[in-house]
Amino acid sequence: MASVDISGVKKSYGAVAVMHGVDVAIGDGEFVILVGPSGCGKSTLLRMVAGLETVTGGQIAIDGRRVNELEPKDRDIAMVFQNYALYPQMTVAQNMGFALELAGRSKAEIKAEVDKAAEILSLTALLDRKPGQLSGGQRQRVAMGRAIVRHPKVFLFDEPLSNLDAKLRVKMRAEIKALHQRLKSTIIYVTHDQIEAMTMADKIVVMNAGRVEQIGTPLELYDNPANLFVATFMGSPAMNILPAVTQAGAVLVAGVATLPIVVSVPPGTKIAYGIRPDEITIDPESPVKAEVVVVEPTGSETHITARLAGHEITLISKARVALAPGDQIGLSFSPNKHHLFDDATGRRLEASGGMAA
Amino acid sequence: MPQASQSARPERQGYVLLAPALIVYLLFAVYPMIDVIRMSFSSWNGLSPEARFVGLANYRAIVTQDPVFWGALRNTIWWTALAVILPNLISFGLALALNQNIPGKSSLRVVFYLPVIIASIAVATIWKWMYDPFFGLFNNLLMQMGLDGWILDWLGDRKVALWSVFVAHVWQSVGFSMVLFLAGLQGVSATLVEAARIDGAGRWGVFRYVTLPALKPTMMVVFVLSLINSLKAFDIVYGMTGGGPAQSTQMLAMWAYTQSMQLGVFGRGAAVSVVLLLITLVIVLPYIRWMFRREEMAR
Repeated sequence: MASVDISGVKKSYGAVAVMHGVDVAIGDGEFVILVGPSGCGKSTLLRMVAGLETVTGGQIAIDGRRVNELEPKDRDIAMVFQNYALYPQMTVAQNMGFALELAGRSKAEIKAEVDKAAEILSLTALLDRKPGQLSGGQRQRVAMGRAIVRHPKVFLFDEPLSNLDAKLRVKMRAEIKALHQRLKSTIIYVTHDQIEAMTMADKIVVMNAGRVEQIGTPLELYDNPANLFVATFMGSPAMNILPAVTQAGAVLVAGVATLPIVVSVPPGTKIAYGIRPDEITIDPESPVKAEVVVVEPTGSETHITARLAGHEITLISKARVALAPGDQIGLSFSPNKHHLFDDATGRRLEASGGMAA
Repeated sequence: MPQASQSARPERQGYVLLAPALIVYLLFAVYPMIDVIRMSFSSWNGLSPEARFVGLANYRAIVTQDPVFWGALRNTIWWTALAVILPNLISFGLALALNQNIPGKSSLRVVFYLPVIIASIAVATIWKWMYDPFFGLFNNLLMQMGLDGWILDWLGDRKVALWSVFVAHVWQSVGFSMVLFLAGLQGVSATLVEAARIDGAGRWGVFRYVTLPALKPTMMVVFVLSLINSLKAFDIVYGMTGGGPAQSTQMLAMWAYTQSMQLGVFGRGAAVSVVLLLITLVIVLPYIRWMFRREEMAR
């Protein structure tokens, strides 16, 4: 196991710069997830750690040793790919033992390692099969087994669950997390799925357009998003954002209310007011009225999209509601649960004071 | 507009669409194949209205009384054995080279493929000129380089004529297999190559464990296609030497043709054809079975 230090890493293809100086410090045994929309550079960063992409600028160090110029095989890493990348002509056992075989380990050693990994991943019964005879979930486990047998310093996962169906994905999520707790290994894991990131990571790195937007634990990111991007990217359904203007000692949220919040910007500044869907409740008494647009029951809760002063907002109701599109509802916003952001920079504004709407 | 009842029978529509091709195939491929078998048991000069049944006499004649048959068989076997190996190795090398990111690779691909689109008879004419003992390119080049001792009558010398023709065949056929190999190489999964690199495979390891296995189906196809092509080798030999000198470049397919069309011994020509057909079937049937198995597995 080892730490990974990514400092000032840049990547350009010709004249096109796609990564603009990324810093991430990953501790020994940490499960770090890189998350962001497609094209944000998360996969490129992972591939640079793996040695499959060259590093244009900055440094990547594994266990304190600079690896920029090293071949993938000399970095002591293992990688699990989205499409599994199993050798079709080899059996499960051969696939898992291949790296050890190339490393010149003895047959007995290889067998012992493969058997142990197969045991952990419940693949023992499948060791003689070819990848073509396995289901997607089984192939995924073989790909993980191939990584485990090598006892690498760092495990790299590139969207490993994207090709699985929803139910299997939830199961594999738990399996990977359990595996990490068992092996105590350093893992860098790339996904575009923020739920995967929230549920599995020790630490999340939110990326966007070749930059790191924020690094933190899942709940830190959820509770204190550093900017509008993180606020709207993490959490499902996404955080509601409404335009607002600062006043002396207050914030005026269009269509909602004037809230007694003190912010550190001059009065008259346009800002963004954010509130999560589960912090809005239906309240017939409330003077804030909205029109129902869509009602989506999920079973345990109901997601309601409503139009409020020309803006669509989403709220989550724990109770079953009998609503139809076009209905008028009153809305109440939880006090002190808002997030304020500078309109121009998108950066979080620290505020004091509460509200009652 | 057609009625709904018509479009409700897709299998009938299928047969209707197949019919023209099927008729042509039956008439021009299956019927002659059966007829040639019948003819191989008959004696016929091509003109008389009656053909006489002679049993196995034609077969007996070609194996016992016809010295050219054995020469042609030997040539065909040598030609085929070399033609499935040599040009395909060159094709494979070219494909590997042209699959790299080298400047001008598209133009080079076209250059190497170009001979394939030239008619065999034109290829034969081009090479016949280049081999010409007095005016040909090769002998003139050798002379200019001072290698007068190497000068040969390339197509007139019994010892080298077959291999002179073979070189022309290699030049013509390399591009075809190259394109098949290139297509195969493009199908090699890039992630699999990356996975192998991470597993610790070097260039040779990636080639051995990822590229070669992925190319297995392509190799099979290339092997069988060049096998069939070599067994029926006719046009390039016909155009360059006509089987000479002294039958030294004679091949089975051409000998069947010569017997029937030029010597008027249709029965014997047919018997030679049937022998060639049997050899081809023995080799090709396992391939067809393999293809069906693959198709079933893909299903």
